[in-house]
Amino acid sequence: MIRLLARNIIRFFILILVQVLLLDNVLLGGYLNPYFYVLFILLMPFETPRWLLLVAGFLLGLSMDIFTNTLGMQTAATVLMAFMRPWVLSMFAPRDGYEPETYPRIHYYGLGWFAGYAVILTFLHHLVLFYVEVFHFQYFFTTLLRVILSTALTTSTIILSQFFIFRK
Amino acid sequence: MKGLLLLLRKYNYVLVFILLEAMAIIMLSNNNRYQHSILINANREIAGTLFEAVEGAREYMKMGATNKILVEENTRLRNRIQALDEQLGDTVVNPSQVGDYFFFPAEIVHSTLHKQFNYLTINKGRRQGVASDMGVIGPQGIVGIVLESSENYATVIPVINRDFRLSVKISKNDFVGVLSWEGMSHRIASLNEIPFHADVAIGDSVVTSGYSAVFPEGLYVGNVKEVEQQEGNFYTIRVQLGTDFQKLFHVNVINNFNREEQVELEASLKQ
Repeated sequence: MIRLLARNIIRFFILILVQVLLLDNVLLGGYLNPYFYVLFILLMPFETPRWLLLVAGFLLGLSMDIFTNTLGMQTAATVLMAFMRPWVLSMFAPRDGYEPETYPRIHYYGLGWFAGYAVILTFLHHLVLFYVEVFHFQYFFTTLLRVILSTALTTSTIILSQFFIFRK
Repeated sequence: MKGLLLLLRKYNYVLVFILLEAMAIIMLSNNNRYQHSILINANREIAGTLFEAVEGAREYMKMGATNKILVEENTRLRNRIQALDEQLGDTVVNPSQVGDYFFFPAEIVHSTLHKQFNYLTINKGRRQGVASDMGVIGPQGIVGIVLESSENYATVIPVINRDFRLSVKISKNDFVGVLSWEGMSHRIASLNEIPFHADVAIGDSVVTSGYSAVFPEGLYVGNVKEVEQQEGNFYTIRVQLGTDFQKLFHVNVINNFNREEQVELEASLKQ
Protein backbone atom coordinates (compact mmCIF):
# COMPACT_ATOMS: atom_id res chain seq x y z
CA MET A 1 0.00 0.00 0.00
CA ILE A 2 2.74 2.40 1.05
CA ARG A 3 4.82 1.28 -1.91
CA LEU A 4 1.91 1.88 -4.25
CA LEU A 5 1.43 5.36 -2.85
CA ALA A 6 5.12 6.16 -3.09
CA ARG A 7 5.27 4.93 -6.68
CA ASN A 8 2.34 7.12 -7.64
CA ILE A 9 3.81 10.17 -5.97
CA ILE A 10 7.16 9.68 -7.65
CA ARG A 11 5.40 9.15 -10.98
CA PHE A 12 3.49 12.39 -10.41
CA PHE A 13 6.68 14.41 -10.11
CA ILE A 14 8.57 12.65 -12.88
CA LEU A 15 5.69 13.14 -15.32
CA ILE A 16 5.48 16.83 -14.50
CA LEU A 17 9.22 17.28 -14.93
CA VAL A 18 9.25 15.39 -18.23
CA GLN A 19 6.33 17.45 -19.47
CA VAL A 20 7.69 20.82 -18.42
CA LEU A 21 11.36 20.32 -19.22
CA LEU A 22 11.11 18.17 -22.30
CA LEU A 23 7.74 17.83 -23.99
CA ASP A 24 6.56 21.42 -23.65
CA ASN A 25 9.46 22.33 -25.89
CA VAL A 26 8.29 19.93 -28.56
CA LEU A 27 5.95 21.55 -31.03
CA LEU A 28 5.02 19.58 -34.09
CA GLY A 29 3.66 21.49 -37.06
CA GLY A 30 3.44 24.73 -35.14
CA TYR A 31 0.86 23.93 -32.53
CA LEU A 32 0.83 20.22 -31.79
CA ASN A 33 2.20 19.41 -28.40
CA PRO A 34 1.88 16.05 -26.60
CA TYR A 35 0.27 16.36 -23.17
CA PHE A 36 1.97 13.26 -21.86
CA TYR A 37 1.40 14.08 -18.18
CA VAL A 38 -2.25 12.97 -18.34
CA LEU A 39 -0.79 9.46 -18.16
CA PHE A 40 -0.73 9.94 -14.41
CA ILE A 41 -4.51 9.86 -14.20
CA LEU A 42 -4.70 6.90 -16.55
CA LEU A 43 -2.30 4.83 -14.45
CA MET A 44 -3.84 5.39 -11.01
CA PRO A 45 -4.99 2.11 -9.45
CA PHE A 46 -8.55 0.86 -10.07
CA GLU A 47 -9.43 1.07 -6.38
CA THR A 48 -8.60 4.79 -6.04
CA PRO A 49 -11.65 6.50 -4.50
CA ARG A 50 -13.33 9.05 -6.72
CA TRP A 51 -12.62 12.03 -4.53
CA LEU A 52 -8.92 11.16 -4.46
CA LEU A 53 -8.92 10.91 -8.26
CA LEU A 54 -10.42 14.39 -8.42
CA VAL A 55 -7.98 15.87 -5.93
CA ALA A 56 -5.05 14.23 -7.75
CA GLY A 57 -6.35 15.58 -11.06
CA PHE A 58 -6.65 19.02 -9.54
CA LEU A 59 -3.11 18.98 -8.15
CA LEU A 60 -1.72 17.64 -11.41
CA GLY A 61 -3.40 20.35 -13.48
CA LEU A 62 -2.48 23.04 -10.98
CA SER A 63 1.19 22.05 -11.00
CA MET A 64 1.22 22.16 -14.77
CA ASP A 65 -0.58 25.52 -14.79
CA ILE A 66 1.99 27.00 -12.46
CA PHE A 67 4.74 26.10 -14.88
CA THR A 68 2.92 27.29 -17.98
CA ASN A 69 1.45 30.41 -16.36
CA THR A 70 -2.10 29.54 -17.37
CA LEU A 71 -3.64 29.21 -13.91
CA GLY A 72 -6.89 27.25 -14.11
CA MET A 73 -6.75 26.15 -17.74
CA GLN A 74 -5.16 22.73 -17.44
CA THR A 75 -6.70 22.30 -14.00
CA ALA A 76 -10.20 22.53 -15.47
CA ALA A 77 -9.24 19.86 -18.01
CA THR A 78 -7.55 17.42 -15.64
CA VAL A 79 -10.35 17.65 -13.06
CA LEU A 80 -12.91 16.80 -15.71
CA MET A 81 -10.75 13.94 -16.93
CA ALA A 82 -10.47 12.55 -13.40
CA PHE A 83 -14.21 12.92 -12.97
CA MET A 84 -14.95 10.94 -16.13
CA ARG A 85 -12.42 8.17 -15.53
CA PRO A 86 -14.70 5.83 -13.50
CA TRP A 87 -17.36 5.92 -16.24
CA VAL A 88 -14.88 5.24 -19.00
CA LEU A 89 -13.44 2.40 -16.96
CA SER A 90 -16.85 0.83 -16.47
CA MET A 91 -17.54 1.30 -20.18
CA PHE A 92 -14.52 -0.80 -21.05
CA ALA A 93 -14.83 -3.24 -18.12
CA PRO A 94 -14.32 -6.92 -18.94
CA ARG A 95 -17.28 -9.21 -18.27
CA ASP A 96 -16.23 -10.13 -14.73
CA GLY A 97 -14.95 -6.69 -13.84
CA TYR A 98 -11.42 -5.69 -13.07
CA GLU A 99 -9.47 -8.21 -11.01
CA PRO A 100 -7.75 -7.25 -7.77
CA GLU A 101 -3.99 -6.89 -7.88
CA THR A 102 -4.14 -5.65 -11.47
CA TYR A 103 -3.51 -2.15 -12.80
CA PRO A 104 -4.90 -0.28 -15.79
CA ARG A 105 -2.13 -1.30 -18.18
CA ILE A 106 -1.54 -3.07 -21.46
CA HIS A 107 0.17 -5.89 -19.60
CA TYR A 108 -3.06 -6.89 -17.86
CA TYR A 109 -5.85 -5.94 -20.22
CA GLY A 110 -4.30 -5.76 -23.68
CA LEU A 111 -3.47 -3.08 -26.19
CA GLY A 112 -7.01 -2.66 -27.55
CA TRP A 113 -8.44 -2.06 -24.10
CA PHE A 114 -5.75 0.40 -23.10
CA ALA A 115 -5.88 2.31 -26.37
CA GLY A 116 -9.66 2.80 -26.14
CA TYR A 117 -9.44 3.87 -22.51
CA ALA A 118 -6.57 6.26 -23.14
CA VAL A 119 -8.00 7.79 -26.33
CA ILE A 120 -11.39 8.63 -24.81
CA LEU A 121 -9.99 10.21 -21.64
CA THR A 122 -7.25 12.08 -23.46
CA PHE A 123 -9.77 13.35 -25.98
CA LEU A 124 -11.98 14.68 -23.16
CA HIS A 125 -8.99 16.35 -21.56
CA HIS A 126 -7.85 17.99 -24.79
CA LEU A 127 -11.39 19.02 -25.68
CA VAL A 128 -11.75 21.01 -22.47
CA LEU A 129 -8.20 22.33 -22.54
CA PHE A 130 -8.24 23.62 -26.10
CA TYR A 131 -11.69 25.16 -25.98
CA VAL A 132 -10.96 26.85 -22.68
CA GLU A 133 -7.75 28.14 -24.19
CA VAL A 134 -9.41 29.80 -27.20
CA PHE A 135 -12.59 30.47 -25.18
CA HIS A 136 -14.96 31.05 -28.05
CA PHE A 137 -16.52 28.94 -30.77
CA GLN A 138 -15.51 31.16 -33.63
CA TYR A 139 -12.85 28.76 -34.85
CA PHE A 140 -14.83 25.72 -33.82
CA PHE A 141 -13.51 23.34 -36.45
CA THR A 142 -9.92 24.54 -36.33
CA THR A 143 -9.95 23.94 -32.61
CA LEU A 144 -11.63 20.56 -33.05
CA LEU A 145 -8.94 19.58 -35.53
CA ARG A 146 -6.28 20.60 -33.04
CA VAL A 147 -8.03 18.52 -30.37
CA ILE A 148 -8.13 15.45 -32.60
CA LEU A 149 -4.55 15.74 -33.84
CA SER A 150 -3.19 16.40 -30.37
CA THR A 151 -5.18 13.48 -28.96
CA ALA A 152 -3.60 11.23 -31.58
CA LEU A 153 -0.16 12.54 -30.72
CA THR A 154 -0.61 12.31 -26.95
CA THR A 155 -2.11 8.83 -26.98
CA SER A 156 0.54 7.45 -29.32
CA THR A 157 3.23 8.81 -27.03
CA ILE A 158 1.44 7.29 -24.05
CA ILE A 159 0.99 3.88 -25.70
CA LEU A 160 4.61 3.81 -26.84
CA SER A 161 5.73 4.64 -23.31
CA GLN A 162 3.75 1.63 -22.09
CA PHE A 163 5.94 -0.69 -24.14
CA PHE A 164 9.21 0.85 -23.08
CA ILE A 165 8.95 2.34 -19.61
CA PHE A 166 5.80 1.42 -17.71
CA ARG A 167 5.71 -2.23 -18.66
CA LYS A 168 4.29 -3.64 -15.45
CA MET B 1 -33.56 13.30 5.57
CA LYS B 2 -31.78 9.98 5.91
CA GLY B 3 -32.29 9.38 2.21
CA LEU B 4 -30.77 12.74 1.43
CA LEU B 5 -27.73 11.99 3.54
CA LEU B 6 -27.30 8.63 1.85
CA LEU B 7 -27.56 10.32 -1.52
CA LEU B 8 -24.97 12.86 -0.48
CA ARG B 9 -22.64 10.13 0.71
CA LYS B 10 -23.02 8.22 -2.48
CA TYR B 11 -22.49 11.20 -4.73
CA ASN B 12 -20.15 13.33 -2.65
CA TYR B 13 -17.55 13.05 -5.41
CA VAL B 14 -19.87 15.07 -7.65
CA LEU B 15 -19.71 17.87 -5.09
CA VAL B 16 -15.93 17.56 -4.98
CA PHE B 17 -15.90 17.72 -8.76
CA ILE B 18 -18.07 20.84 -8.90
CA LEU B 19 -16.00 22.50 -6.19
CA LEU B 20 -12.66 21.80 -7.86
CA GLU B 21 -13.92 22.73 -11.32
CA ALA B 22 -15.33 25.98 -9.93
CA MET B 23 -11.98 26.73 -8.35
CA ALA B 24 -10.29 26.14 -11.71
CA ILE B 25 -12.68 28.52 -13.45
CA ILE B 26 -12.24 31.18 -10.77
CA MET B 27 -8.47 30.92 -11.12
CA LEU B 28 -8.86 31.03 -14.87
CA SER B 29 -10.93 34.17 -14.70
CA ASN B 30 -8.73 35.91 -12.17
CA ASN B 31 -5.43 35.24 -13.81
CA ASN B 32 -6.03 35.28 -17.53
CA ARG B 33 -7.10 38.66 -18.86
CA TYR B 34 -8.62 37.42 -22.08
CA GLN B 35 -10.86 34.79 -20.49
CA HIS B 36 -11.74 37.30 -17.78
CA SER B 37 -13.00 39.92 -20.21
CA ILE B 38 -15.11 37.36 -22.06
CA LEU B 39 -16.68 36.02 -18.86
CA ILE B 40 -17.46 39.55 -17.72
CA ASN B 41 -19.01 40.42 -21.08
CA ALA B 42 -21.11 37.26 -21.12
CA ASN B 43 -22.22 38.06 -17.60
CA ARG B 44 -23.10 41.62 -18.64
CA GLU B 45 -25.25 40.36 -21.52
CA ILE B 46 -27.13 37.87 -19.34
CA ALA B 47 -27.50 40.18 -16.35
CA GLY B 48 -28.41 43.07 -18.65
CA THR B 49 -31.30 41.14 -20.20
CA LEU B 50 -32.54 40.11 -16.77
CA PHE B 51 -32.24 43.57 -15.25
CA GLU B 52 -33.95 45.16 -18.22
CA ALA B 53 -37.07 43.11 -17.51
CA VAL B 54 -37.11 44.07 -13.83
CA GLU B 55 -36.24 47.69 -14.52
CA GLY B 56 -39.23 47.93 -16.85
CA ALA B 57 -41.54 47.47 -13.86
CA ARG B 58 -39.60 49.89 -11.68
CA GLU B 59 -39.60 52.49 -14.41
CA TYR B 60 -43.36 52.19 -14.78
CA MET B 61 -43.84 52.85 -11.07
CA LYS B 62 -41.69 55.95 -11.12
CA MET B 63 -42.97 57.27 -14.41
CA GLY B 64 -44.47 60.34 -12.80
CA ALA B 65 -41.19 61.52 -11.30
CA THR B 66 -39.30 60.71 -14.49
CA ASN B 67 -41.76 62.65 -16.58
CA LYS B 68 -41.40 65.66 -14.35
CA ILE B 69 -37.63 65.62 -14.67
CA LEU B 70 -37.82 65.28 -18.43
CA VAL B 71 -40.34 68.12 -18.74
CA GLU B 72 -38.08 70.36 -16.67
CA GLU B 73 -35.16 69.49 -18.91
CA ASN B 74 -37.27 70.22 -21.97
CA THR B 75 -38.24 73.62 -20.63
CA ARG B 76 -34.64 74.46 -19.91
CA LEU B 77 -33.56 73.40 -23.38
CA ARG B 78 -36.43 75.34 -25.03
CA ASN B 79 -35.39 78.48 -23.21
CA ARG B 80 -31.84 77.92 -24.32
CA ILE B 81 -32.83 77.39 -27.93
CA GLN B 82 -34.89 80.58 -27.78
CA ALA B 83 -31.92 82.51 -26.44
CA LEU B 84 -29.56 81.03 -29.01
CA ASP B 85 -32.03 81.68 -31.82
CA GLU B 86 -32.20 85.32 -30.88
CA GLN B 87 -28.42 85.52 -30.94
CA LEU B 88 -28.16 83.75 -34.27
CA GLY B 89 -30.68 85.97 -35.98
CA ASP B 90 -31.01 85.03 -39.63
CA THR B 91 -27.78 83.07 -39.96
CA VAL B 92 -28.46 79.68 -41.54
CA VAL B 93 -26.84 76.75 -39.75
CA ASN B 94 -26.18 73.46 -41.47
CA PRO B 95 -26.96 70.91 -38.78
CA SER B 96 -24.56 68.28 -40.13
CA GLN B 97 -21.63 70.61 -39.57
CA VAL B 98 -22.47 71.67 -36.07
CA GLY B 99 -20.50 70.34 -33.15
CA ASP B 100 -17.94 67.70 -32.51
CA TYR B 101 -20.31 65.90 -30.18
CA PHE B 102 -23.22 63.65 -30.93
CA PHE B 103 -25.76 62.61 -28.28
CA PHE B 104 -27.78 59.43 -28.43
CA PRO B 105 -30.32 58.04 -25.96
CA ALA B 106 -29.98 55.04 -23.67
CA GLU B 107 -31.77 53.67 -20.64
CA ILE B 108 -30.31 52.51 -17.39
CA VAL B 109 -31.21 48.89 -16.76
CA HIS B 110 -29.30 48.39 -13.56
CA SER B 111 -27.52 50.51 -11.03
CA THR B 112 -26.01 50.27 -7.60
CA LEU B 113 -26.10 53.26 -5.26
CA HIS B 114 -24.87 52.15 -1.89
CA LYS B 115 -21.49 50.68 -2.63
CA GLN B 116 -18.10 52.30 -2.75
CA PHE B 117 -17.58 51.27 -6.34
CA ASN B 118 -20.98 51.74 -7.93
CA TYR B 119 -21.67 50.87 -11.54
CA LEU B 120 -24.53 51.44 -13.95
CA THR B 121 -25.55 49.23 -16.83
CA ILE B 122 -27.14 50.87 -19.87
CA ASN B 123 -29.01 49.12 -22.65
CA LYS B 124 -26.83 50.29 -25.51
CA GLY B 125 -23.63 48.55 -26.44
CA ARG B 126 -21.00 48.14 -29.09
CA ARG B 127 -23.58 47.39 -31.75
CA GLN B 128 -25.22 50.79 -31.12
CA GLY B 129 -21.84 52.52 -31.14
CA VAL B 130 -21.09 52.76 -27.43
CA ALA B 131 -17.38 52.46 -26.67
CA SER B 132 -15.14 52.91 -23.66
CA ASP B 133 -14.52 56.48 -22.43
CA MET B 134 -17.69 58.00 -23.83
CA GLY B 135 -19.46 60.42 -21.52
CA VAL B 136 -22.95 59.78 -20.17
CA ILE B 137 -25.30 62.60 -19.22
CA GLY B 138 -28.78 62.62 -17.70
CA PRO B 139 -31.53 65.21 -17.68
CA GLN B 140 -30.19 66.71 -14.43
CA GLY B 141 -26.49 66.76 -15.22
CA ILE B 142 -23.57 64.51 -15.96
CA VAL B 143 -23.82 60.85 -14.95
CA GLY B 144 -20.54 59.10 -15.67
CA ILE B 145 -18.17 57.59 -18.18
CA VAL B 146 -18.52 54.34 -20.13
CA LEU B 147 -16.09 51.76 -18.80
CA GLU B 148 -16.62 48.85 -21.15
CA SER B 149 -19.24 47.77 -23.63
CA SER B 150 -20.40 44.38 -24.83
CA GLU B 151 -22.71 43.67 -27.79
CA ASN B 152 -25.89 45.28 -26.43
CA TYR B 153 -24.99 46.65 -23.02
CA ALA B 154 -22.37 48.87 -21.49
CA THR B 155 -21.05 49.40 -17.98
CA VAL B 156 -20.77 53.00 -16.83
CA ILE B 157 -18.61 54.34 -13.99
CA PRO B 158 -20.90 56.96 -12.44
CA VAL B 159 -19.73 60.01 -10.52
CA ILE B 160 -20.56 58.00 -7.40
CA ASN B 161 -17.71 55.53 -7.82
CA ARG B 162 -14.48 56.03 -5.92
CA ASP B 163 -12.49 55.47 -9.10
CA PHE B 164 -14.24 58.35 -10.84
CA ARG B 165 -12.19 61.46 -11.69
CA LEU B 166 -13.26 64.33 -13.88
CA SER B 167 -11.90 67.75 -14.63
CA VAL B 168 -14.60 70.35 -13.85
CA LYS B 169 -14.71 74.10 -13.30
CA ILE B 170 -16.56 76.76 -11.37
CA SER B 171 -18.86 78.16 -14.00
CA LYS B 172 -18.58 81.86 -13.10
CA ASN B 173 -14.78 82.22 -13.02
CA ASP B 174 -13.42 79.16 -14.86
CA PHE B 175 -11.22 77.86 -12.03
CA VAL B 176 -10.58 74.22 -12.80
CA GLY B 177 -10.53 71.40 -10.25
CA VAL B 178 -10.95 67.66 -10.02
CA LEU B 179 -14.29 66.10 -9.19
CA SER B 180 -14.24 62.84 -7.26
CA TRP B 181 -16.44 60.96 -4.85
CA GLU B 182 -15.60 59.98 -1.32
CA GLY B 183 -18.12 57.25 -0.82
CA MET B 184 -20.57 59.08 1.45
CA SER B 185 -23.93 60.23 0.11
CA HIS B 186 -24.92 59.52 -3.48
CA ARG B 187 -25.95 63.16 -3.83
CA ILE B 188 -22.64 64.72 -2.84
CA ALA B 189 -19.21 64.69 -4.51
CA SER B 190 -16.02 66.55 -3.68
CA LEU B 191 -14.14 69.08 -5.73
CA ASN B 192 -10.43 69.50 -5.09
CA GLU B 193 -7.53 71.54 -6.42
CA ILE B 194 -9.39 74.85 -6.52
CA PRO B 195 -6.78 77.37 -5.23
CA PHE B 196 -7.41 79.69 -2.26
CA HIS B 197 -7.40 82.86 -4.32
CA ALA B 198 -10.40 81.68 -6.32
CA ASP B 199 -13.67 83.27 -5.39
CA VAL B 200 -16.01 80.42 -4.49
CA ALA B 201 -19.37 80.84 -2.85
CA ILE B 202 -22.06 78.42 -1.79
CA GLY B 203 -24.51 77.91 -4.62
CA ASP B 204 -22.05 78.47 -7.47
CA SER B 205 -22.65 76.05 -10.28
CA VAL B 206 -20.02 73.54 -11.31
CA VAL B 207 -19.76 72.49 -14.94
CA THR B 208 -17.50 70.27 -17.04
CA SER B 209 -14.25 71.89 -18.13
CA GLY B 210 -14.00 70.24 -21.53
CA TYR B 211 -10.32 69.49 -20.92
CA SER B 212 -10.78 65.76 -21.30
CA ALA B 213 -12.07 64.26 -24.51
CA VAL B 214 -15.05 62.79 -22.69
CA PHE B 215 -17.45 65.71 -22.12
CA PRO B 216 -17.90 68.94 -24.02
CA GLU B 217 -17.40 72.11 -22.03
CA GLY B 218 -20.11 73.55 -19.83
CA LEU B 219 -22.31 70.58 -18.98
CA TYR B 220 -23.96 70.96 -15.61
CA VAL B 221 -22.50 68.89 -12.78
CA GLY B 222 -23.93 70.39 -9.59
CA ASN B 223 -23.82 73.26 -7.12
CA VAL B 224 -21.29 74.17 -4.46
CA LYS B 225 -22.73 73.09 -1.14
CA GLU B 226 -19.89 73.59 1.32
CA VAL B 227 -16.50 75.27 1.11
CA GLU B 228 -13.79 74.27 3.52
CA GLN B 229 -10.36 75.82 3.91
CA GLN B 230 -7.97 73.14 4.91
CA GLU B 231 -4.22 73.24 5.17
CA GLY B 232 -2.35 73.63 1.94
CA ASN B 233 -3.28 75.93 -0.85
CA PHE B 234 -6.52 74.41 -1.95
CA TYR B 235 -10.14 74.43 -0.94
CA THR B 236 -12.07 71.28 -0.21
CA ILE B 237 -15.44 71.80 -1.78
CA ARG B 238 -18.55 69.67 -1.48
CA VAL B 239 -20.72 69.63 -4.55
CA GLN B 240 -24.41 68.85 -4.48
CA LEU B 241 -24.75 66.70 -7.59
CA GLY B 242 -27.43 67.67 -10.06
CA THR B 243 -28.13 64.06 -10.94
CA ASP B 244 -30.23 62.08 -8.50
CA PHE B 245 -29.07 58.58 -9.28
CA GLN B 246 -32.07 57.10 -7.56
CA LYS B 247 -34.44 58.65 -10.08
CA LEU B 248 -32.29 58.22 -13.14
CA PHE B 249 -33.62 56.22 -16.08
CA HIS B 250 -33.04 58.05 -19.33
CA VAL B 251 -29.56 59.14 -20.23
CA ASN B 252 -27.65 60.31 -23.27
CA VAL B 253 -24.35 58.86 -24.37
CA ILE B 254 -21.98 61.44 -25.83
CA ASN B 255 -19.83 60.52 -28.77
CA ASN B 256 -16.97 62.91 -29.41
CA PHE B 257 -16.02 62.69 -33.05
CA ASN B 258 -12.60 64.13 -32.36
CA ARG B 259 -11.86 62.03 -29.31
CA GLU B 260 -9.39 59.71 -30.99
CA GLU B 261 -7.51 62.59 -32.48
CA GLN B 262 -7.32 64.40 -29.14
CA VAL B 263 -6.25 61.27 -27.24
CA GLU B 264 -3.60 60.49 -29.83
CA LEU B 265 -2.22 63.99 -29.72
CA GLU B 266 -2.09 64.00 -25.93
CA ALA B 267 -0.41 60.60 -25.90
CA SER B 268 2.20 61.70 -28.40
CA LEU B 269 3.00 64.76 -26.26
CA LYS B 270 3.59 62.60 -23.21
CA GLN B 271 6.31 60.58 -24.91
